[in-house]
Amino acid sequence: MTQLDTVERVALALGAVSTLLGIVGLGIVEILAGQPYGAAPTTNEAGEVVATPAVDPAVRTGLVIVGLVVLFGLGLYRMVTDGRAATDGQTRVTAD
Amino acid sequence: MAYSETNPLANEFGFDVDGPLAAGWIALLRVVTGWWFFHSGVTKLIESGLNYTYAPTYLRGMTGTALGPLPVLMGENLAWLVRPGVPLFETLIGLALITGALVRLASVGGAFFMTLFWVGNAEFGHGLVNGDLMGLLLFGTMIVFGAGRYFGLDGLLETTGIVENYPTLRYLLG
Repeated sequence: MTQLDTVERVALALGAVSTLLGIVGLGIVEILAGQPYGAAPTTNEAGEVVATPAVDPAVRTGLVIVGLVVLFGLGLYRMVTDGRAATDGQTRVTAD
Repeated sequence: MAYSETNPLANEFGFDVDGPLAAGWIALLRVVTGWWFFHSGVTKLIESGLNYTYAPTYLRGMTGTALGPLPVLMGENLAWLVRPGVPLFETLIGLALITGALVRLASVGGAFFMTLFWVGNAEFGHGLVNGDLMGLLLFGTMIVFGAGRYFGLDGLLETTGIVENYPTLRYLLG
């Protein structure tokens, strides 16, 4: 495996932190906030909502999507820099 | 192979990424994921042909999600593309993964689909981590590992002259 440059390290960290914040970090907040403990509201037998999530699920899913998009961008960045390196006759990175 | 004091599993039962068991497991994951999408797509084709009318309706219902107005706009303005596109691309993505050809390119499409399913279904009754998110992560796994190289056609395609001349193509294969 080739070394990651600074841009790639930052993107990898940002993508991972955003994804894990959305799933694990705010998941812990949901547990600590009490019922419903998750991203869906709790309803009674009549179907009435008796407890809503502490964090809007759109925020959590948004963080995950942002993280995955950043990681996808990292892949595109490597593709572009690899292409340039190949054009310049260098062998900086590979697709492995 | 010699016994390792520090890692007793570092022998023929090891699970190293470059080992035969890991390669087989990645290929198995790829084919199962491919069948999942192929089955979903081809059954829509059988039932609705290239006119899957539920797709734009589903997108128009995706209000208030993390994706903002994007899915609703797609449902309203790209219905002509979405109706045939969903069954067709699900089938093609499935076939690509099953055969192991153009796996990374197909997996980007699969991840796009799974993002819409995960956010759109919003069935978080058992938490944010559900089957749709796992499917999304499976497609990410296919991309990261270049799963088409393991018992797949991408392993052969990458030995062709065109890929050797344009090595950047390996980012779409693999």
